[in-house]
Amino acid sequence: MKYIIKFKKTGVICYTSHLDIMKVFKRSFKRAGIRLAYSQGFNPHPKMGFAQPLSLGYRGYDEYIEFETAADWNNMNGQEILGALREIMPEGLTLVSIKEAPELKKTLASMTVAAEYEIRIPVSEQIEGDARSLWNQYMGQERITALKKQKKKKEPVVIDIKPKIRQLAFNPKDDCLVLNAVLDAGSESNLSPELLIDTVISTLGLDCDRAEITVSRLELQFKE
Amino acid sequence: MGIDKELESILKRVEKPARYIGGEVNMVRKNPDDVSVRIGFAFPDTYEIGMSYMGMQILYNILNGNDRICCERVFAPAADMEEIMREKGRKLYTLETFTPVDKLDVLGFTLQYEMSYTNILNMLDLGGIPVRKDDRKDGCYPLIIAGGPCAFNPEPLADFVDAFLIGDGEETLEKVCLAFADAKAGKPDRKAFLEAISEIDGVYVPEFYDVEYGENHSISAVKKINDRAPETVTRAIVKDIEGAEFPVNNIVPYIDTVHDRSVVETFRGCTRGCRFCQAGMIYRPVRERKPDTIENLAMEQLANTGHEELSLLSLSTSDYSQFEPMATGLMGLCRKQNVALSLPSLRLDSFSFRVLDEIQGYRKSGLTFAPEAGTQRLRDVINKNITEDDIFSATRQAVELGWEHIKLYFMIGLPTETLEDLDGIAEIARKIMDINYDVRGRKGGRFRVTVSVSNFVPKPHTPFQWEAQNTAEEFIEKHNYLSSKLRIKGVTFNYHETATSNLEAVFARGDRRCGRILEEAWKLGCRFDGWTEHFRPEAWRKAFENCAADLGFDSADDMEAFYNYRERTAEEILPWDMINPFVSRDYFLAERNKAVKCETTHDCREGCTGCGVNRYTDCFVNCKQK
Repeated sequence: MKYIIKFKKTGVICYTSHLDIMKVFKRSFKRAGIRLAYSQGFNPHPKMGFAQPLSLGYRGYDEYIEFETAADWNNMNGQEILGALREIMPEGLTLVSIKEAPELKKTLASMTVAAEYEIRIPVSEQIEGDARSLWNQYMGQERITALKKQKKKKEPVVIDIKPKIRQLAFNPKDDCLVLNAVLDAGSESNLSPELLIDTVISTLGLDCDRAEITVSRLELQFKE
Repeated sequence: MGIDKELESILKRVEKPARYIGGEVNMVRKNPDDVSVRIGFAFPDTYEIGMSYMGMQILYNILNGNDRICCERVFAPAADMEEIMREKGRKLYTLETFTPVDKLDVLGFTLQYEMSYTNILNMLDLGGIPVRKDDRKDGCYPLIIAGGPCAFNPEPLADFVDAFLIGDGEETLEKVCLAFADAKAGKPDRKAFLEAISEIDGVYVPEFYDVEYGENHSISAVKKINDRAPETVTRAIVKDIEGAEFPVNNIVPYIDTVHDRSVVETFRGCTRGCRFCQAGMIYRPVRERKPDTIENLAMEQLANTGHEELSLLSLSTSDYSQFEPMATGLMGLCRKQNVALSLPSLRLDSFSFRVLDEIQGYRKSGLTFAPEAGTQRLRDVINKNITEDDIFSATRQAVELGWEHIKLYFMIGLPTETLEDLDGIAEIARKIMDINYDVRGRKGGRFRVTVSVSNFVPKPHTPFQWEAQNTAEEFIEKHNYLSSKLRIKGVTFNYHETATSNLEAVFARGDRRCGRILEEAWKLGCRFDGWTEHFRPEAWRKAFENCAADLGFDSADDMEAFYNYRERTAEEILPWDMINPFVSRDYFLAERNKAVKCETTHDCREGCTGCGVNRYTDCFVNCKQK
């Protein structure tokens, strides 16, 4: 049976990478006595995967993992699986809900199209103008060019990220400039919030250390 | 447990931040108000190295199993983390509760390797704790203790550590913690407390002993200056490890560590009597766990951790008295659960080949032999009981079964070594290549041989404790000689950094005065000396030069020669003579004399060889007699 679990990643565990969290889930299934289906071949691995990787240091409030239990295993139903996992998940990985997904043909990863982020930049005293004027200053640019690292080549390429920004709002709040952004995500078109942060900082002329900025992913959006 | 903003922003700047956050599966976090004593278990290397060390998991489990004790972990931060911590004035903290280490009651270091000593000083300093124990006497600082194999010569760290725990730590460490809890409840008195724990087996309190030096630099007398301290410190021992606590709820790290697997210790001790090997002496006698116990521990650990791999821990896997049925049983259980079984240091007989063939299947890793020396003569000197016939017949079998990589481990600089012995190393590699050509044909396939050579470091409490070490020049000459001899197609030659081996030898056999050199090197910026990329030989050289005159030597060279490059006489008082490892000095001397005459000593399973351990404890507890 195929299942999808919705979970949150918050607290110090955010400093654990995507691949390491994958390992945490893999071992948690084992510890909870949930037997997964394995891929065929020389190096069989359990059938499971995340909808989207979450970068190191980001908080995630709407994360998904899909997995398939072994065909000859039906010791627990969905709610029981959720309960068994909840008992052993480490602090910071909160399992929200589970649903059966027998109709799922494609992977969640291939169905992801966009993600909503909240980015907090602690620079309130540097901000001049209201939300609207900040938006105009940034989104008013014809092109928003950013340097993107490439996987294989060493030289980064210049890309225009504006078409990948679906929604963006600037909200000065408390001591921060808060960005609420919906960005392309997934295999067809993807925009890392890091490029948004870089370009916002340079366009608005802000002075802020990256280590002071926090990023939360609030929602993942999927194809219908 | 939340973390503060400052730490959060620090974590975003460093490599592998998960090293510094704790919170792993099976971590134990207690409320400090609910316990009587808080101890930090400190591993003086990075998280990845420390989390692979089973001894820490064993002691963590025992200490936290006691309601009065809370044990938390501390590791050495990497250079990038250290820099930011110092910049922000952030103190070294425990992973369980982010408590600065200077707020703990006890901080205990494990001494696995001499080259981690500068990290100990650095960790104390990062924790806001004065490194020298004399500078701590008037303040409120944690008790600093240390244990592990290197504690069998505690002297180079005597200026920094309040008390050493010698031998098996399972019982001693808990006793020391509870004694601290009791002392804390009464009137705090450092001296009275140290006196009380000095009466526990295995506890050495350096300030209760005065060391005097003679004109030739060597020790002229060691005087006990406290009535309650023992004349010699007898190592602590768990006489029956079957009954000893062993963890089944191991902490499972998030990030990749050196070993991230379930591990069960099958037995402690070794009967083979290799003369260079300290572990083979200081962990005597052999004490086994029963097969059922091993199986149960393994299954429980796998269930509680979700590990994909199981390994067995001992000094020589195949020497377990019921190895065949135990290994067969575990193989079956692991197969059922999709768990890989890994059996290190197997003796390569036909059973081992059957086992390896099954557990490695089509993906065969390299096969490893450790002949240690290139000729039978030198192997007899060191009492390494492996013949060339053993190696070659096992190689032939391995090649026929499809192995394509053979790894060979040797040591150079062993006592009585000549060029002929080095030639022998190349000869063995060449013959192994020939066996492959013989089996696989003229082209030989992808078969390769790796020859790894390490530099002999004489260790305390071994028959070679009196020997001179080779100088850097001698080692380098031998490396070059071997390089030219090992230019053989298909053979790779690796050797170990020379300067590190020479330094390791100084601190392995050093006396109290070496603490000065250590502190100087640390002040000059030395850290992580066991890591090639961090090792700074020039700074170490400078430390020797800066200390030589103060320690009464004419030059740094003289000082190094004194500690390393001279043979000690049998009469000389050795810095570690106050430690009683159970094996008698007479046995070490007799073994040394036999070594010079190329006489071997048989494995003590075939009959007692009179090492003296059985004066204190039973040998072969729980071993099935053949």
